[in-house]
Amino acid sequence: MATSSGELSPESHFDKWEIQLRKGCLELAILGCLWPARLYGLEILRRLESDSDLVLSAGTVYPLLSRLKAEGLLKSEWVEADAGHPRKYYQLTPRGRSRAVEMAKMWARFSTNMKGLLSPVLKEGGK
Amino acid sequence: MIASTRREPRIESYLARLRVALRGLPDREIDDIVRELRSHVDDLAGKEGAGVEAALQSLGDPLDLAQTYRSENQMLRAQCSGSPLTILQGLRHATRGTLQRVTVTALYVLGYFGMGTLWAGALEKLLAPSRGGLWYTPGDFWSTTLVVGGNPPAGARELLGWWLVPIALLVGWGVKYASDRIAQWWIARYRRAKASQEV
Repeated sequence: MATSSGELSPESHFDKWEIQLRKGCLELAILGCLWPARLYGLEILRRLESDSDLVLSAGTVYPLLSRLKAEGLLKSEWVEADAGHPRKYYQLTPRGRSRAVEMAKMWARFSTNMKGLLSPVLKEGGK
Repeated sequence: MIASTRREPRIESYLARLRVALRGLPDREIDDIVRELRSHVDDLAGKEGAGVEAALQSLGDPLDLAQTYRSENQMLRAQCSGSPLTILQGLRHATRGTLQRVTVTALYVLGYFGMGTLWAGALEKLLAPSRGGLWYTPGDFWSTTLVVGGNPPAGARELLGWWLVPIALLVGWGVKYASDRIAQWWIARYRRAKASQEV
């Protein structure tokens, strides 16, 4: 998708920008998933797909959960499930909950400001 | 269905390769990772009916996956460790490209070399007080030399005297401390940048 001068085409640039945007909010999305209840890895993946439009591979999410746990934001426990095998459930630690609140507030503030800035663009661009 | 996916040779082969590639992590952690991924594959292939192949594909190549776990683990350990070997291992994962890796590693090793030289200078002063020390030829500032395992230049005067011992030990320790902290800052910075690039 690069042009002959080596620059990215507008479509590639847009795709790259969208990927970067999604990457930036992945940690917040996971903390948000786990806010109401504990979940295991596959449930987190499905929740991200259905509620945030973030379609991720398991190979991305499991190491990320491991990192968040190592940073003390999550804790985990093995629970015997009806499925016939145990599942590793993750839940937020108090530190994870306060990080989630901080990040969510920042996100909301940023999003509100951007909405104000972009409303004329959306108004005129939507015509 | 679930019992059958557990004995599925493709799953066993995948997890065996992953386990080998995870070597270096604590055994308990390896068991935990393998157990969790087995549970994921069982759920996806069994409960959701995605099939074994699709379930394994969602995890990606076992060597790449193990590398992700290992590099994160080693960087995290390096951030909390005082061991130079652990920090060096962490630095290996926290650099992009050979040039950056060699430069960062060389600077870190140089810090330890500086500490070693200062401590050797202090030891020399204790073992051979007449030779060891910080020597200076009057009128030539650049001739200042810390003598380790040799003789002072002719006509040179000693600076610091016995004060050299505590000063060299303290400064050497400071150089080591600064090298460790800078390396750990570098690793933390790399991890933060990497965290925003996950997906």
